[in-house]
Amino acid sequence: MEQKKLKTLKPTLREKERYVAFQVISEEGEEFNYSDLEAAIWNTMLDFLGEEGVSKTSVWLMKDCWDPKTQKGILRCNNKSVQEVIASLGLIDRLGDNRITFKILRISGTIKSIREKL
Amino acid sequence: MNFYDFHVHSEFSEGESTIEEIANRAKLLGYKGICFTTYLDDKNKIKKTKEIVSKLSKQIGIDIFIGFEARNTSELDKLIKLRREYDVLLVKGSDLLLNRKAVETKEVDILTHPEYNRRDSGFNHVMAQLATENNVAIEINFREILNSSKNTRANIMHKIKTNVEICKKYKAPIVISSGSVTHWQLKDPKILISMGCLLGLELKEAKKTISEIPENIIKMIKERQDEKWIRPGVKVV
Repeated sequence: MEQKKLKTLKPTLREKERYVAFQVISEEGEEFNYSDLEAAIWNTMLDFLGEEGVSKTSVWLMKDCWDPKTQKGILRCNNKSVQEVIASLGLIDRLGDNRITFKILRISGTIKSIREKL
Repeated sequence: MNFYDFHVHSEFSEGESTIEEIANRAKLLGYKGICFTTYLDDKNKIKKTKEIVSKLSKQIGIDIFIGFEARNTSELDKLIKLRREYDVLLVKGSDLLLNRKAVETKEVDILTHPEYNRRDSGFNHVMAQLATENNVAIEINFREILNSSKNTRANIMHKIKTNVEICKKYKAPIVISSGSVTHWQLKDPKILISMGCLLGLELKEAKKTISEIPENIIKMIKERQDEKWIRPGVKVV
């Protein structure tokens, strides 16, 4: 049975979002898929911020924005927790056996503008 | 805005990566300049490092500085005598007496991680006042947080937060650096700024720690390299 959709909230009640575009810099020739990266981000954030802390961030790694070729992606979070999310990305230094580092490309309030300038 | 990382170890000290690898990575991450930190084991090091660094700096297009980190008081005394031959003087924090001596010395630019390997934060209000008077920046070392986990990380972050609060109260300069030993540990400037915010700094203050305060140190370096400079506060007119 199809679930009924919620009525859209008023703009004043909606959470203000921020989009963080990033690039994963890794050893040459290494390509990571969405699920590897998602697991690494969740594990690090849960370790660093805790379950309650992560619940405040509304963090989400956007699947359709992850490009495995360029290793660029977009993270969504709310406007109050951008610093927590970016600091957590800095604490990820390994993905499996590979060493990685994150380059923050851009922070924006709309997905449209961040996609245009990526 | 120009960003600087003033505490990076290369293969010349305890690091694993070459100067070239680190400089290239710093350029990619958007740094305007970095400071390679080494220890005073032999004086030939200064010449060797200077030669390599000046070539690379032009080649890659990034400002590269040479810093020496004093591990004890005798090393600090030796480095003060050689102060004109290198750019940045850092003091490896941890020992309480060394921390105190570092903030009392005008020649010192940065006191690195005063809370390192200590049960307390290794820094108090008296030292903060002295650091403000002598313009000695207190470092927040990202590697300390990166390499620890669980309760150790929580303890380290608590000590750093205490030091940040004291520094803010007495307006002592703060510098955030990666403290990296490989080019993989070099972090994006925005990541360092965010960590600064989590450690109790306002966004503006956090930005200052990797741009304006290092720029002030660079100004001092240029003054020091001037022929008229004799020692802090003394100049030929």
